[in-house]
Amino acid sequence: MNKNTKHHDPEALRNHSYDGIQEYDKKLPNWWLFTLYGAMVFAAGYWAYYEWTGHMLPGYESVEQKVAEFQKNMNANGAAPTDAKLCEMSNDPAVVASGEKIYVTNCLACHGADLKGGIGQNLVDATWLHGGTPTDIYNTVSTGVAAKGMPTWGPVLGASRVAEVVAFLISKNSTIERTAP
Amino acid sequence: MKTKTIEYNDLVVRQFLIASVFWALVAMLIGVLIASQLAFHVLNFDTSWLTFGRLRPLHTNAAIFAFVGNMIFCGVYHSTQRLVRTRLASDFLSHLHFWGWQLIIVGAAITLPLGLSRGKEYAELIWPLNIGVVFIWVVFAINFFWTLAIRNEKSLYVAIWFYIATIITVAMLYITNHLQIPTSLLHSYPIFGGVQDALVQWWYGHNAVAFFLTTPILGIMYYYMPKAAERPVYSYRLSIVHFWSLVFVYIWAGPHHLLNTALPEWLQTLGMIFSVMLWAPSWGGMLNGLLTLRGAWNKVRTDPVLKFFAAGVTFYGMATFEGPLMAIRSVNAVSHYSDWTVGHVHGGTLGWNSFMAAGMFYWLAPRLWNTKLFSTKLADIHFWLGMLGILLYIASMWVSGITQGLMLNAVTPEGALAYPNFLEVVNSTQAMLRMRILGGVLFLVGMVLMAYNLYRTIRSGHPAVASIEVQVPEEPPKESLTLLGGFLNPPVIYSFLLVIFGAGWGFAQGMLSTISLVLLVETALIAMIHMGVSGQKWSEWYDKLLESWLPFTVLTFLAVAAGGMIQILPTVFIKQTAGADAPLQKVYTPLELAGRDIYVREGCYNCHSQMIRSLVGDVLRYGKSGRLTESVYDFPYQWGSKRTGPDLQRVGGKYPNIWHFQHMMDPRSTSIGSVMPNYPWLYTQVTDIPALSSKIRVLTSYGVPFPPRSPADIRQSCIDQGQRITEDLASGGIKISPDKEIIALIAYLQQLGKYDDPTAAPAASAAPDISAAPANQKQAKSH
Repeated sequence: MNKNTKHHDPEALRNHSYDGIQEYDKKLPNWWLFTLYGAMVFAAGYWAYYEWTGHMLPGYESVEQKVAEFQKNMNANGAAPTDAKLCEMSNDPAVVASGEKIYVTNCLACHGADLKGGIGQNLVDATWLHGGTPTDIYNTVSTGVAAKGMPTWGPVLGASRVAEVVAFLISKNSTIERTAP
Repeated sequence: MKTKTIEYNDLVVRQFLIASVFWALVAMLIGVLIASQLAFHVLNFDTSWLTFGRLRPLHTNAAIFAFVGNMIFCGVYHSTQRLVRTRLASDFLSHLHFWGWQLIIVGAAITLPLGLSRGKEYAELIWPLNIGVVFIWVVFAINFFWTLAIRNEKSLYVAIWFYIATIITVAMLYITNHLQIPTSLLHSYPIFGGVQDALVQWWYGHNAVAFFLTTPILGIMYYYMPKAAERPVYSYRLSIVHFWSLVFVYIWAGPHHLLNTALPEWLQTLGMIFSVMLWAPSWGGMLNGLLTLRGAWNKVRTDPVLKFFAAGVTFYGMATFEGPLMAIRSVNAVSHYSDWTVGHVHGGTLGWNSFMAAGMFYWLAPRLWNTKLFSTKLADIHFWLGMLGILLYIASMWVSGITQGLMLNAVTPEGALAYPNFLEVVNSTQAMLRMRILGGVLFLVGMVLMAYNLYRTIRSGHPAVASIEVQVPEEPPKESLTLLGGFLNPPVIYSFLLVIFGAGWGFAQGMLSTISLVLLVETALIAMIHMGVSGQKWSEWYDKLLESWLPFTVLTFLAVAAGGMIQILPTVFIKQTAGADAPLQKVYTPLELAGRDIYVREGCYNCHSQMIRSLVGDVLRYGKSGRLTESVYDFPYQWGSKRTGPDLQRVGGKYPNIWHFQHMMDPRSTSIGSVMPNYPWLYTQVTDIPALSSKIRVLTSYGVPFPPRSPADIRQSCIDQGQRITEDLASGGIKISPDKEIIALIAYLQQLGKYDDPTAAPAASAAPDISAAPANQKQAKSH
C-alpha cells in the first residue's frame, strides 16, 4: 500500500462502491502514526525495563515491608505511650475531643453511644478483660482481640489516634487508675 | 448473466429495532433505580428481588445483551443485506434468532432478580440460558455467513469485516467463559477457579466491551455514517490498519482489570502495555468516522442523525483515551474499585452505544416504514437531554471516583490511614451519587422521547418493501482465494513471523531472546522493503482477500485468538503446585460452601471485593495483600471489581458473629451511614442443605480436596457448625435456629481469609495437586 503513496492523489476515490458508499484512500495522519508507533515503543521499553532489569514492580513483598517500616517508625518515635502520658492526655480537652470524634466514627457502633457496650464490652465499668491500665487498654485497641472480634486498630488508626481515643476513654471512666506524670 | 429482483428481509430488522428500543428503556429504568438505591438505601425495599445486588446484573445484562444486542442485530441485518446485495439467507433462522433472543432476555429478567446467578460479571445468566445464548449465536452466525456465501457483491466492505470479527470472537469468549458443570437444573460451577477464573473472566469481560459493544458498532458506523452524511469514507487504508490492529491488540488487554492484585506480574504488565497500545487503533476508528464528516459538518447542525453520530464517535474517542490511561498501573491504583470505572463504562455505553443506536434508529425508522421522521425538533431535544445527562453522569463519577481512590489510599505522615472509617469515604461522595441519578434520569427522559418519536413515525407509515435488481451469473461465483491462498502470501507470513519473534523476544530468555530480537528487527526491515517494492501486489492480494469470506474469517480468528492463547493457556494447562511457603486456602466446610453460594446469589460481589491489592492503603486497611493460593478453591472467583463497601478478603474473625447477625439485618445498626441493603429474608429462609451433595461432588471433580462425606454426614456437619454459631449468638441474647441462611452466610464470612500456614502445620501443608492450582508469580515466569 505504501508504494502508490508516491503518486497518490489524496482526493481520488477507490473505484468501487458498496450500496452507494465510496471510499477515499487517504494517507494515515502522521500524528496518529506517531501515537501508534510511540505506544509500541513505550510498550517494548516498559516490558524490557520491568521484566529484565531487576526493577520489579512493587509486589506484595515491598508493600508489606513498607507497612512494617511504618509500624517500626511509629514505635521508635515513642508514639507507644506510657500510663502517665495517656493520663496526661486525658486531661487535655482538645485531645479528648478529638478522641471522642474517633470513638464516634469507629467504636460507637459496637461499644455504644454511652460506652456501656453492646456487641462490644462496657467501657465505663471497672471490668477490663484484657488489662485495665492505660497502656493495657492502648495495647488492646492497637492489636485487637481476634477471639472476640475486636479489630486490630493500630495500622488503621495509627498510634497517635489510638492514644487519643484511649485518652477519651480514660476521661470517661473514673475507675481507671490515674498515674501522675 | 440474468437479472434477478431481490427483496430484502426487513421484517426482522424492524423487529430488532423495536425490541432494542423497548429493552433500552427497561435497562435504563433499572439503571436509574439502582443508582438511586446507592444514594437512598430504603429503595431496596427490604425485598430480595429488588435488592441492588440482584438488580445490578439485570441492568448490565439488559443494557449489553438486550438493548445493544438487539441494536446490533438490527444494524447488522439491515446493512449486510445491502452491502452484499442479497436477502438474508434464511427467513426461518432470522425468525428463530429474533424470538430466541427475546426469550433469553425474558429468561434473564426472571432468573436474575430471583438470585439465580453464576456470580461473574456480565456472565451471570444460569447455564440453561447460556446454552440458549450459544445456540442463538450459532443461528446468527449461520444466517450471517450463509448470507455472505450467497452474496451478489463480491467484495466485502469494512463494515462486514467488523461484523465477522464480532461473531467469531464473541463465540470464542462466551463459550470459554461459560464452561461449567451443572449441580442442578438451575445451578452450576464454572470449571475455572481462583486466578484462572479471574483471568478468563476479564479476558471475556473486557472483550465483551471490545467485541460486543465496540466492533459491531464500528461496523454500523461504517455503514450508516457515510450514508447519512452522503460523503465517502475518509480512508480505506486507515480502515485496514485500524481493523487489524484493533482486533489483534484488544484481546490482550483484559488483565488491566486485575492490576495490583495477586495476578502474576508478567500478566499485569502485558495487560497494561497492550491497553496503552490500544489507544491508536481505537482512535483510528474515531478518525475515520469523524473525518468522513468533512464537507458535511454543516449538516450536523440540522440533521439529528449526524448529531448523534458525531457525538457518539467523539465519546468513543474519549472513552478509548480514558481506558488506556486507567490501565496504567499507578492510575489504576486510584481508579480501580471506584466510581471512576463506572463513569468510564457509561461514557462508552451512553455516549457511544446509545448515541450510535439513536442515530441509527432515527435514520432507519423513516426508511423502514416508508415515511418521514415524526419530529426533528423532538430528536434535537433528545440529543441535548442525552448530552447533558451523560456529562452530569461522567463528571459526577469522575469526582466521586477520584475522591474515593485518593481518600482510601491516603496515608498520614505517621503511617496510618488518613480516613480509617470506610463510611467516611462513602458518605463524602453522596452529593455526586445524587447528581449521577439526575444525569441518568435526563438520559432516560431523552430515550423516552425517542421511543415516542419513533412510535409516531412508525404509526404514520407502513412497512416498506425494499428490493434491488441484481445481475446474477448462471454459475455461482467462486471465491477469489482458497484457504491456502489466504495464508501463503507475504503480508500474512510477515505478520505471523513478527508475532512469533515478538513473543520470542518478550518471553524467551538469554540467547533465544536476543536471536528473536534480531530476527524481529530483520523481518520488520525486510517486510518494509518488500512492501516498498511489491506494495501494489499486496494491495491486490488484499482486494482478493476481501472477495473470500472464509479465508478472511479464519485470519481474523487467528488474530484474535493469539492474545488469549499466550495469556490464558500457561495458567490453565501447566500443572503447577503452590510454593512451599504459600498460604493455602482452607477447604470450605459444607455450611461455609452453602453460605458462599448465598453470597454469590445475593450478588455481594457487585459491591465488595475479595482481593487486597499490593498497595499500602489496602494493606493498612484490610491486612496482608492477597495471594494466588488463597482462592484456589473459589469457583467462581469473587475478587470483585467495585468497592461500594469495603474489601472482605480477610473479614473472617474481624468481627464477632453477633456483629454480622445485626449487620445483615440492619447494616446501619453496626455501621453508621452505611448504604447497604437490609437482608431480612436470610433470617427466615432455610439453607438448602440437600443441594450440597451434588455441589461438593462437582467441586471434588475439579480437584478440591473435600473429605469424603455422605449426604447424612454433610447434613450433620452443617447442623454442628450451625449450632456452634447459634450458641455463640445465644450468649449475646439472640435466638435463631441453625438452619437459617444467615447462619450459613456468617459461617462463610467468618472463614474468609483463613488459610493453612504450611510453615506451621506440616500435616496441612500438602501442596494442592490439582492442575487448577496456580503457581505463584515467580514460578509462572522465571526471568
